[in-house]
Amino acid sequence: MSSLLRVLSMAEMHGRDLLRHHVAVGLLIALPLSFYFSSTGQDGGHAFVAGGVGMAFSISGATLFSILSSREVDQRLVLSGYRPIELLLGRLLFLGPFGLVVAAGFATLMWTVSNPMHPWLLAYGVAAVALVAVPFGLAIGAAVPNELEGTLVLIGVVGVQLAAPASATASKVLPFYGPRRLIDASDSYGAAIAWPSILAVAYALTLLALARLFVSQRVTIQRHESVSSS
Amino acid sequence: MGVDPTVHESQRVTARAEAPLPGHQLVAAGITKRFGRTVILDDVNLDVRAGEVIALTGENGAGKSTLLRICAGLLRADEGTVRVGGRIGYCPQATGLFELLTADDHLVMFGRGAGMSRKEGLRRGRAILAEFDFPLGEKLVTRDLSGGTRQKLNLALALLADPSVLLLDEPYQGFDHGTYVNFWDHCEKWRQQDKAVVVVTHMLAELERVDRVIELPAHASRREVSR
Repeated sequence: MSSLLRVLSMAEMHGRDLLRHHVAVGLLIALPLSFYFSSTGQDGGHAFVAGGVGMAFSISGATLFSILSSREVDQRLVLSGYRPIELLLGRLLFLGPFGLVVAAGFATLMWTVSNPMHPWLLAYGVAAVALVAVPFGLAIGAAVPNELEGTLVLIGVVGVQLAAPASATASKVLPFYGPRRLIDASDSYGAAIAWPSILAVAYALTLLALARLFVSQRVTIQRHESVSSS
Repeated sequence: MGVDPTVHESQRVTARAEAPLPGHQLVAAGITKRFGRTVILDDVNLDVRAGEVIALTGENGAGKSTLLRICAGLLRADEGTVRVGGRIGYCPQATGLFELLTADDHLVMFGRGAGMSRKEGLRRGRAILAEFDFPLGEKLVTRDLSGGTRQKLNLALALLADPSVLLLDEPYQGFDHGTYVNFWDHCEKWRQQDKAVVVVTHMLAELERVDRVIELPAHASRREVSR
């Protein structure tokens, strides 16, 4: 019970901290919008991918920022009694739903403006982007030493995912390939759904496991023996 | 307990560390830490009893903060052991806080870590902050607080769970004179509460207010590790 309360407390405070970054939240919304609207003149499928996968920049970026900016505090929180997994779950508990809300709004906008063949599939694909983007940001944030390195990794991975054609090998091995295929499928007939879905879930779980590993390494403290045990 | 101003205490403390006396709250023995090839701490010993206030002094780069972080468990020593007698409260030199959370937010979050309810964390935390004249009426996020005020919050977070070992790394940074004097008065109070207190300090004028002074040697003991 106390563990659940710690997770909830972490989620609440993390949410407060992030939502008070008004400019960052504004940019978080504006970035995929600009990607989408700058691509709407081309064929519809490309605009959906640009906007949908572009949303990974926002969600992963917000996650990355949250984990890197609180690195010093995190270890003190562990010293105060939190377990590393509780810090991770607390962030996930806020950022997961937050990403889904952003995805829902964004999917609705694209549905209204561009009218895809399968609107529900577009929403599903964009939601998959959000679900992969959160553990992706957590894993990068826990693995790299500074914001600069994290940002460059983020730009590199999402940028290649956006720029490379879906048939390219580089595209297929990156984490947003599954969600991208789902978004592609929303504007075509007979495209596969099951395999990209499995891929997205597998990537999300793998990234989450990596984030767990890296976070533990970074914030775990040494529990000293008791003086009385000598 | 008198002051020992000359301190290179490591040899004396080694003897204590091997056979801790009753009442010891912190015993660090044979602590060695290297960053790369540079030795920061070389076989350093430190022990602190309940009701004892120790000043840890030394030149910049002597490894005072590193030793404190090792004692707190935030950093792993390459060699040596640390044993503690209870909960640790640690106040870092730099204010590692969430910039857009208020003092109350921090109290709730850190209190929850120590198993307190929201109400209890706020009650205890505000009481500590009031002792250091923290402006409780202002609901500012920490980014908008002055350096000294942020440090008051930092100190309150270290004290929140009523630790038996207090590790304070120049905790008075940015304090005005009144609060600074108040801080040393609190050291006396913590001594009476049987806490073991280690204060990293450069303020030699205040050393008469502590029980022992331990000076970490700096460059004389620091050497390049031979390849």
